[in-house]
Amino acid sequence: MSKTVRIEPDVQFVKELQEVGGEDLKKCYQCATCSVACPMAPADNPYPRKEMIWAQWGLKDKLLNDIDIWLCHNCGTCSDLCPRGAKPGDLLAALRNMTYRKLVPPAIIGEWMSSPKHLPMLVGIPAVVFGIIWMIRASMVGSFFPVTEDGRIIYGNLFPGDFTIDPVFGLTAIFVLICFLVGIRNLIQGFQTTVKDTFVIGYKKPSIKEAIVDAIKYEVLQHTRFKECIDEPADEERVKGHLLLFYGFVACFIVTSIVAVAHWGGKIIPFLAPIGHTPMPLWSPVKILANVGAVLLLVGLTLLTRRRLNLDRRKSRSNYYDWYLLGVIWAVTLTGIGSEVFRLAGVAPVAFFTYYLHLISIFMLIAYLPWSKLGHLVYRTTALIYARYVGRLPIGEKLIEDEKVFVI
Amino acid sequence: MANTSILVVGGGFAGMTAALEAAELGHEVYLVEKAPYLGGRVMQLNKYFPKFCPPSCGLEIQYQRIKNNPLVKFFTLAEVVQVDGNKGNYTVTIRVRPRHTAPNSVDLSALVKDLTGETVSSFEFGLARRKGLYLDVPFAFPQRYVVDKTCLTDADKAKLAACPSIDLTEEEKLIPLQVGAIVVATGWQPYDVTRLSNLGAGTIKNCISNMQMERLASPYGPTQGKIVRPSDGRAPKKVAFVQCAGSRDENHLSYCSYICCAASLKQAQYVREQYPDAQITIYYIDLRTPGRYDTFARKVLADPKVQAIKGKVAAVAQDKAGDDVWVTVEDAVSGAKSVERFDLVVLATGMQPSLATQKLPLNVAMDEEGFLVGGEEQGIFVAGCAKQPLDVMKTAQSATAAAMKAIQTVRGR
Repeated sequence: MSKTVRIEPDVQFVKELQEVGGEDLKKCYQCATCSVACPMAPADNPYPRKEMIWAQWGLKDKLLNDIDIWLCHNCGTCSDLCPRGAKPGDLLAALRNMTYRKLVPPAIIGEWMSSPKHLPMLVGIPAVVFGIIWMIRASMVGSFFPVTEDGRIIYGNLFPGDFTIDPVFGLTAIFVLICFLVGIRNLIQGFQTTVKDTFVIGYKKPSIKEAIVDAIKYEVLQHTRFKECIDEPADEERVKGHLLLFYGFVACFIVTSIVAVAHWGGKIIPFLAPIGHTPMPLWSPVKILANVGAVLLLVGLTLLTRRRLNLDRRKSRSNYYDWYLLGVIWAVTLTGIGSEVFRLAGVAPVAFFTYYLHLISIFMLIAYLPWSKLGHLVYRTTALIYARYVGRLPIGEKLIEDEKVFVI
Repeated sequence: MANTSILVVGGGFAGMTAALEAAELGHEVYLVEKAPYLGGRVMQLNKYFPKFCPPSCGLEIQYQRIKNNPLVKFFTLAEVVQVDGNKGNYTVTIRVRPRHTAPNSVDLSALVKDLTGETVSSFEFGLARRKGLYLDVPFAFPQRYVVDKTCLTDADKAKLAACPSIDLTEEEKLIPLQVGAIVVATGWQPYDVTRLSNLGAGTIKNCISNMQMERLASPYGPTQGKIVRPSDGRAPKKVAFVQCAGSRDENHLSYCSYICCAASLKQAQYVREQYPDAQITIYYIDLRTPGRYDTFARKVLADPKVQAIKGKVAAVAQDKAGDDVWVTVEDAVSGAKSVERFDLVVLATGMQPSLATQKLPLNVAMDEEGFLVGGEEQGIFVAGCAKQPLDVMKTAQSATAAAMKAIQTVRGR
């Protein structure tokens, strides 16, 4: 040892980590099986062995600025082979949870999102907001469950987009976007302090633009990296489930965007307005896309939930962040489908109540996004782009066999 | 009055030692061994700790003591099938499988050459084949050939039937024994490499186990002591040792087998003595060389061609084009993950208690790994690796201890 390093452990951080999914981290005895087993780990400072010892030592700064926690897709091979049952895969998940909790202010939301005891508050905020809107509007239109003269249910009559839904969600979206910008900045600043530039012969370093385009084209849209993590049938189901869920969201996002653009754009270019007019007839291409999205969400959710329920608890355990996200997406999907079905069935009280629940669950999905597991949408993408940019690549057997890549 | 005889189950180093200690104090001892010879796992080693004796040397003394002591009655090819009674008064039934050869030590080597039927030699851990008439090692005790009828051809049978020293009609026998105490010295077996799926599961030709390495290095082994690659008989230039192959691992053997690190260092020496240019890498989690083995480790590691790297090999693969072996490992000190090519890879598999897979008809408490943890209140005492992983020296000590307790049981104090 030529250089003395002063270790400053954060014991509280270790305890917090154990609470959010890393409960077995202290069992690790540093054999490095995990780093070898991981198909994604690069040659230079592979993971997750080093994270295990950092976690045991409470090296908070190293861990929270670590890019590698985002390069892991938690296939669980490391935990399967771990000789001590220390569950390195779960530790990296716990570290991601810590990032959701600590990366972006206000810290209080991170706190609320970290434990089920705060759940009533998280539900309560949108429940009260939309409840008040419901009361006010009900007094204005004269009914809690207003139907048109011909008996149709139009949610917009109770919750008009222009001055209830859109402002609430618009402001929420702006808030979330700002938080994400802060998050991305914090992440990159962190990566810059920890990730060394790796010089890899045979790897042409991309420009930032190329890195962004490639990361979105391969990792995000095709899940190429995620697919590398398949080594048993359950993993395949997981990738399939995630892909379906992802495209379900993409479909719903496109629908929402079309409606928003057509509606607000229609105020300037009038002929756009009808496209965004809801409720849409079932034959409308936009409605068809929305329904396809709903089906994708249902199938994806089923696959992912089933896998979580069947996990071997000795190898991996699901944590609150996993269940919160799955739960909220289930709520969004089921209330979304319910709103459509009950509207078409003409059961006004049930339909309006379901729609109210739908608004609450959507709010819970979007407003707390930077502090929830869904935050990985932004954080993981940022990390994957950064990893591409600096050349932090898996030690791919193919590349080594071809003797094309030499890491220096 | 209680019976003063003692039964010793297992004729390896622990069993022989316990039997001799008790017999030399005047007790009648029955020594029951499953294999055709006494000596157990030590017989299969090239050299053993602490003095690097070849087994022929160390075991020879024990064999002489047994030969010269009429109180030791030993049975080979024998197993305990039933135990009745209680402390001080046990009736034990043993089953003795037929050896089919005469009790005198006839040299049947010429006849062996004439036979054609063959099977894989379990004594050589699959590295060689043997005939239906065999003697595992030249110094085997008893110095008697064994007939394995399952691998004899009809022609072989005719040839053996014509030999006056061979009786193919011999049947197995059940023998009742009256004893007052029992010493269990059933020893260990190498952990089954086929369960180590990420280390090739025994399918990679040049990835051998440490016990196979002992056979390769033994002058009585399949290569007459020349350490070569099983695939092509070539001298290895780069050899890797994979420590804790299935040891200290909840998915396999959760404990440390105590001697594998020292054994790999010893085997590194075998290679270095034969090949002055060979390069050796030992991959370990912790290099555990307790007591006097630490001095030995320092001596071996002083060789610049022997390096030890902290990091467990978690993937072993056969080269696609040839017979070389690739190992993937992270050097946990420098934090570099690499894939390295070797000529020969040795898996340091641990000791699994024999009783983990083959039960005895005894009602003695066993831990989840198969080590015996009780029995003393029943007059049953455990010696050697049936109790915990040990080296030969400590095995002998534990055998002496067990013999002493057995004597106290049958004599009273």
